Amino acid sequence: MTLDLATIADRIAQLVGTVDPAFEEERFDALERSWGEADTAEVRRRLATAKTSFLTATPHGRLQERFALPVVPQQYTVAATDGSMIAPDRHSPARFYLINIGKVRLSYGTQSSAALTNEPDFRFDEHDLYVPDVVHRIPVNETILGVKRACAELHSVADLLDPADCSVALQDGTLILWAIQSLQDAIVNWAVTEYMEAMRVLRERGIPLASYISAPGSADVLNTLRIAICDYPEMGLQIDCNACRARILTENRPPACDILPAVTDRYLFERVAHLEQGERSGLFDSESFILDKYDPDQRVQFFFLNTGREIARIEVPQWVGSDPNLVDRVHAVVYDQAQKGLGYPVVLQEAHEMAVLSMSDRRLVTDAIERQLARHGVVVTQSGKSGSKRGRFV
Amino acid sequence: MAALFSAGESKSQERLGEVIETTTTSFVAESDQLHALPDLGALVRVGGRASQPSYFGVVAFGETGGLDTSRRAVRRGGVDIHDEEVYQRHPELEHVLRTIFTVTVVGYSSGSVCHHVLPTQPVPLHYSVHPCSRSDVLAFTAEPRYLPMMLATSGELPPEMLLASHLRWVDGVLRDDHIWLADATRRLARLMKRDYDRFSMIAQAIAPDI
Repeated sequence: MTLDLATIADRIAQLVGTVDPAFEEERFDALERSWGEADTAEVRRRLATAKTSFLTATPHGRLQERFALPVVPQQYTVAATDGSMIAPDRHSPARFYLINIGKVRLSYGTQSSAALTNEPDFRFDEHDLYVPDVVHRIPVNETILGVKRACAELHSVADLLDPADCSVALQDGTLILWAIQSLQDAIVNWAVTEYMEAMRVLRERGIPLASYISAPGSADVLNTLRIAICDYPEMGLQIDCNACRARILTENRPPACDILPAVTDRYLFERVAHLEQGERSGLFDSESFILDKYDPDQRVQFFFLNTGREIARIEVPQWVGSDPNLVDRVHAVVYDQAQKGLGYPVVLQEAHEMAVLSMSDRRLVTDAIERQLARHGVVVTQSGKSGSKRGRFV
Repeated sequence: MAALFSAGESKSQERLGEVIETTTTSFVAESDQLHALPDLGALVRVGGRASQPSYFGVVAFGETGGLDTSRRAVRRGGVDIHDEEVYQRHPELEHVLRTIFTVTVVGYSSGSVCHHVLPTQPVPLHYSVHPCSRSDVLAFTAEPRYLPMMLATSGELPPEMLLASHLRWVDGVLRDDHIWLADATRRLARLMKRDYDRFSMIAQAIAPDI
């Protein structure tokens, strides 16, 4: 059925009103003031003991510090991998999954060159379709396959680069395994073990890894500002967000940090910190609790970069973040890539293009399986729902 | 029917590209190298190995653009970076762009005889497209009875423009003091005696100074 847009047109107009930041001028003034006045040493002290209900970020240097664009290396090599997948489908006659990894290496300088390939990995064995665990029998679903894909992407990108070059391995999205952190322990432990193994390969080969998050929705730094303006320490109390918010109900007392608007770090660094084109913020430690399971040298740090088109969040493992030369290299290379890609790193753009599986590609795989089954005398019976989607009727 | 010298000469073994779409009347080929495509109006050849027929066609259109048709090319250069420097700065372009050319089929040869009619089968898909050697051109154009067929084509170019480009190209290859060109033009003049306007378009395009 066609969407009846007329029935929601008024609601859309109301939505637009709520996302217009101008209507909350007072709260935005408070945000500017808080950012300007926040004392980094005091913020660190508070973060060390605060019991928060949201994610915060610990600044490495001064909270408000910023770094100009370093000189972009004349010669550098950047590689990226991206994956596309067909997850096991209970409506399908056969249990399998497919991960297609797009691989791109771009070298710049006097001898510029490019290599663009992709490699499909088709799995159907029992041990591939279940998470290896002696106690639990956990079938591979879309989330778990996402972890397998992320690991395959890291292993592949490591193979594309030579540490002797001025190189960077770039990934799209986050290096933090958000998707699995609330799943059962067996999955979390398996996923982190696999992911760490993949991240270690890059470390062992000395290839700096970074990931690029376009239009980041995180608010870790903004939440850190909430800690900075919390009035609990002035009252001699330990910062405790849950206790504080409970007082809204019991004492009708609004938390002091509610004066800050509900915006993202992207907004903070664009409109308040005013990062100039090419500039980056200081480094922050992510405080996501899944990182407690990471190797200490692989814990994720991040900075924000004004690419000229947007404020992007760039994540690096701790071993990259602790080397100023590598941070400079990542900063310069990611910025240059975004310029070449007209706002988004060209290497990521092409890796995505190499990986993507179109609807017709997906259909080809299914059809090939069904044809092979038919040759062996297996008649494919479709589930009712799957059949109704394939042959639509009225 | 004219005898065909064909093959043997190194030029005719060179590969220009590969057939990626084919119909009875025309085919589309993708160039092996970006930007490298035969001239408009050039005679090209497909097949001809062992007992297979050689298919002959005239290059009717060329195009360079995104390999993925849903990705349009955008401006990459400016005052400081332009022309080949754009490709130096964007090495991936060589892999995401492609050059294609359309060829109007004008005949085929079987054995040593060439036929100026449409072949009974389309040019085979994924076969190589080769440039024609001078002897290929001499043989195929000796009796230019395929010219009326070209007047009836419907492609991106008006058929008169395509025909004029082809006549100029053959004249350039043969370098025979325009003897072939004069003969072909006379044939066209007779053929188009009731269509002076169309003929004058061709004549103007062949020799604009006249």
